[in-house]
Amino acid sequence: MAERTENLIHIESLTKVFYTDEIETHALSGVHLSIARGEYVAMSGPSGCGKSTLLSILGLLDTPTDGKYTLNNKAVANLNFADRSRIRNQEIGFIFQSFNLIGDLSVYENVELPLTYRSGMAASERKDRVVKALERVNMAHRLRHYPAQLSGGQQQRVAVARALAGSPSILLADEPTGNLDSKNGEAVMRLLNELHAEGSTICMVTHDPRFAAHADRQVHLFDGKIVAEGELQHLLAAAEEEYRTGYSAAR
Amino acid sequence: MATFLGTVFQDVRYALRQLRRTPGFAATAVVTLALGIGANAAIFSLLDQALLRSLPVREPRQLVLLEGTGKAWSGRTSGHGGEREMLFSVPMYRDLYEKNTVLQGIVATSTGAVGIERHGETAVQDAEIVSGNYFSLLGVRPALGRVLTAADDTDNAAPVGVLSYDYWHDRLGSDPAVLDETLRISGKPVTIVGVAAPEFRSAVWGQTPALFVPLAHAALVDPSQADSEHNHRDRWLNLVGRLRDGVSPAAAEAGMTPLWHALRADELAAMGSKPGGFTADFLTNSRLHLLEGATGLSYSRQRLEKPLLIVMCMAGLMLLLAAVNVAGLLLVRSAVRAREFCVRYALGATAGRIVRQVLLEGFLLGFAGAVLGVALAPMVVRVLSSRLTDPGDPLLFLPTVDGRMLAVSFALAMVVSLGFSVVPAIQLRKPDLVSTLKQQGSTSAGRGLNLRSVAVSLQVALSVLLLVCAGLLVRSLQNLRHVDVGFNTEQLLTLHIDPELAGYPADRIAPLQRDVLAALSGIPGVRSVAATDSAEIAGSDSGTNVTVEGYTAPPEEDLDIGRIGVSPLYFATLQEPLVAGRAFTENDTLDHPPVAIVNQSFARHYFGSATAALGKRMARGAGNKLRWMEIVGVVRDARHIGLRDDVKMTDFTPLAQEKKAADVTLYLRTAEEPQTVFRDVTATMHRVAPMLALQHMMTMGDQVDRTLADERTIGLLAAAFGVLATGLAGIGLYGVLAYNTAQRTREIGIRMALGSSRAAVSRLVLAEVLLLAGAGVLAGLPCALLLARMLRSQLYGVSATDPVTLASVAMLMLAVALVSALLPARRAAHVDPNQALRSE
Repeated sequence: MAERTENLIHIESLTKVFYTDEIETHALSGVHLSIARGEYVAMSGPSGCGKSTLLSILGLLDTPTDGKYTLNNKAVANLNFADRSRIRNQEIGFIFQSFNLIGDLSVYENVELPLTYRSGMAASERKDRVVKALERVNMAHRLRHYPAQLSGGQQQRVAVARALAGSPSILLADEPTGNLDSKNGEAVMRLLNELHAEGSTICMVTHDPRFAAHADRQVHLFDGKIVAEGELQHLLAAAEEEYRTGYSAAR
Repeated sequence: MATFLGTVFQDVRYALRQLRRTPGFAATAVVTLALGIGANAAIFSLLDQALLRSLPVREPRQLVLLEGTGKAWSGRTSGHGGEREMLFSVPMYRDLYEKNTVLQGIVATSTGAVGIERHGETAVQDAEIVSGNYFSLLGVRPALGRVLTAADDTDNAAPVGVLSYDYWHDRLGSDPAVLDETLRISGKPVTIVGVAAPEFRSAVWGQTPALFVPLAHAALVDPSQADSEHNHRDRWLNLVGRLRDGVSPAAAEAGMTPLWHALRADELAAMGSKPGGFTADFLTNSRLHLLEGATGLSYSRQRLEKPLLIVMCMAGLMLLLAAVNVAGLLLVRSAVRAREFCVRYALGATAGRIVRQVLLEGFLLGFAGAVLGVALAPMVVRVLSSRLTDPGDPLLFLPTVDGRMLAVSFALAMVVSLGFSVVPAIQLRKPDLVSTLKQQGSTSAGRGLNLRSVAVSLQVALSVLLLVCAGLLVRSLQNLRHVDVGFNTEQLLTLHIDPELAGYPADRIAPLQRDVLAALSGIPGVRSVAATDSAEIAGSDSGTNVTVEGYTAPPEEDLDIGRIGVSPLYFATLQEPLVAGRAFTENDTLDHPPVAIVNQSFARHYFGSATAALGKRMARGAGNKLRWMEIVGVVRDARHIGLRDDVKMTDFTPLAQEKKAADVTLYLRTAEEPQTVFRDVTATMHRVAPMLALQHMMTMGDQVDRTLADERTIGLLAAAFGVLATGLAGIGLYGVLAYNTAQRTREIGIRMALGSSRAAVSRLVLAEVLLLAGAGVLAGLPCALLLARMLRSQLYGVSATDPVTLASVAMLMLAVALVSALLPARRAAHVDPNQALRSE
């Protein structure tokens, strides 16, 4: 396991509010979080707690309503669309629940795709990186195949290779096993463990405690806030009691 | 740079693969664009050839057309259709040519028909009478032998001619033996000394002469020009000059003015005494203009200009419609591919890269559309050209692909591609990454929905524009076809003969005409035969001013009276009824008192009524030496020049009392359809006059139809555009409805789960289509009214705001919209609510 000496990610008082016609929804309320370089963090919590929103903001797919976000010592909370694209390309590797491979591109081209968006990278270097990434996930033998020709587990391995190919600072995984059966899910988790062991920083959203247990640290969210594990159990119990009481009263 | 090109190449490769993987979409888009680009390329080719393209001669920009304004010396002007102010007499040309010091040179040209006899067969062909310096000044080289020279253009020179390349190639099979061969041209021997360059047809655009003959031998083409060298009155030559290097037309015009005025003064002196007003108009108010002449002269350019511009506008609308159609397809496609683009963004693609990808795909579609369109264009040009060209003549427009057509087509393709790609590209610039990436399905709605609706309504609006134009033009054509010309065009055969072209001497022509009329009358199935020197509904317009005994014309009256020479039985054969008096008889010859028949308009104007005209005297021209003719009959008004032309006051005289009536048009009234006697007519004519070529033998119905060639071609094109536009709009409506209905499957499932009937669900789809089409119709109709104003000059018997056309178009579009909604409505009505609610 790599030695953790500095924060790769640091967020402070982060809030995210969604506005519809008449309703304000506070998805995140004053979140503080730091992730050290080389750390493996799992984020969990009940549906609607804000974990995917937080991951989207960490991945610069979305912007916070308020608060500070520092990635690799750079303030990134208020960057414009083009700068966020550039940093995403260089610093972040995504692994999605539904793989999000492009069906019209071969395995090779899917993995190469983020590298083609990186200016100045020679074709020979791209090829080298793609082959290495595919070898790393044991998918080098399928590089001419198309996503539709692969199983779900294989597709997710290709997605991991795509995330790795650009040598990002952090891998962000959003329910990476959500669309896989248990066997393939376990295989992907083993792969993430190996990557972490080799020094990758990983932040994974999961609702499955078995997979969350693979991480160095677990972060629990409830109603848009990070809570301690004990507190989470208490809050969940309280919420259940409130629901039960309300139901009895209504009857 | 290499990296940049590498990524561009990658994007191109990906775009090509995208198109290959969706062949239905790609084919629809490419064919749609090809139709739009092909139509524009073809119409542009016509427009370019007729109006824009320079003559294939040396330095065409140095050419100027000479135009002399001011009062003209009364006399004959050329009948070939050129503007009168651009016609000059031979002496005026010779003077300008010899005394001019401003221009490099001046050439003279005129056209006419000749009979070319080779190997015992005579064919009537167009010929161009040209000055000896014609080829050298224009810079046209020979393809074979030599071109005409100044030495050929003298009275003493042996008659020689140069063949056009088209005639030599098409009719003589490029036979080199024709060089130095003596052909009989209108019965006279002419030695062929060369063949003109292949790219050169004539200095007059639209003319395709078979033969060029020197001006000094103009009588070969037109025997009446035998004394033209000294005849100041007859103006029948067009003049083309060449500017010296670096001299502008305006400077040259100023330089030529003193010479022009001096020559006009000489002409005035030669005329003798004239009133003061005439002198002022003839001399002081006369100017010589030098007009830019790079595109050459043309007798048909003016006729074609407006229709071609209208059709070009319609083709432009068609292309716009095609572009909007493809934009609609791309909007649907980009909605389907939204997730793919979001993944690209998530992986670090910039908006510029995504926009470039979308634009590249659009450009590839545009390029493929242009390639197919350019391949189609020559076929369209050939079809249109054959409809606009007289049968038997070389095609007026060449159906070839040239650099200009290619440049315009690919430029249009690029502009259009940018147009239809930019909307989806803009739409993809700032997508909602988070929600799109979270979707399990691969499609998303979003604001593209509104743009797609706008696109489809725009297509309906453009279709309305094109359909209204098509409707008005087709109705005009129908009205023209049903015009009452004033005589019976059914069971009437027409043909033209010109004994002079076959070499008959002047004293043999009148007897030959009598023999022909008699022989044709004897054909079984022919009821009567007649002849005229001015064919009906064929654009012939020979006019003169008249003096009517006892009638004092108001000072401002300057009436142009039509004059037509006819044989006995003419009115009976045409079934053009006499309303008073008698018809001409065999006795109305030069040996008998001159007589005339006038039409009702003439009689009304000069005498108040038809009966009042009988017995009165009239004469052609004015002055003291008048040849009085007694009006012996009044005939019902009939159209003579063309279907659009109003009835003109006309006097008819017996052909036998005309001094010169060599070429005549014959009319045969038949008992059955005229085609039944074609073979007998040909055989009879061959027996009576074996050397005589039969020209333009056809039914009168065909003749009338031929005069409508322009209207029919424009109507046909407009109708084709209208049908295509309606089809595209229908496909566009169907596409959007099908997509929207698929997107609403879950909503429809919920509605049905809540108790909605199938009919109610169908009504949802039908309401949507009526909204989209209705918006298009409402937007299109006011624009169509504006556009229709442009068409006014082409309309006949129908107003530009014709409510029947507008209402029909609106109803048709709504009907098309409803038909296009049937399948989506049926699909919506058959949604399984159980399945729809379970699906994402």
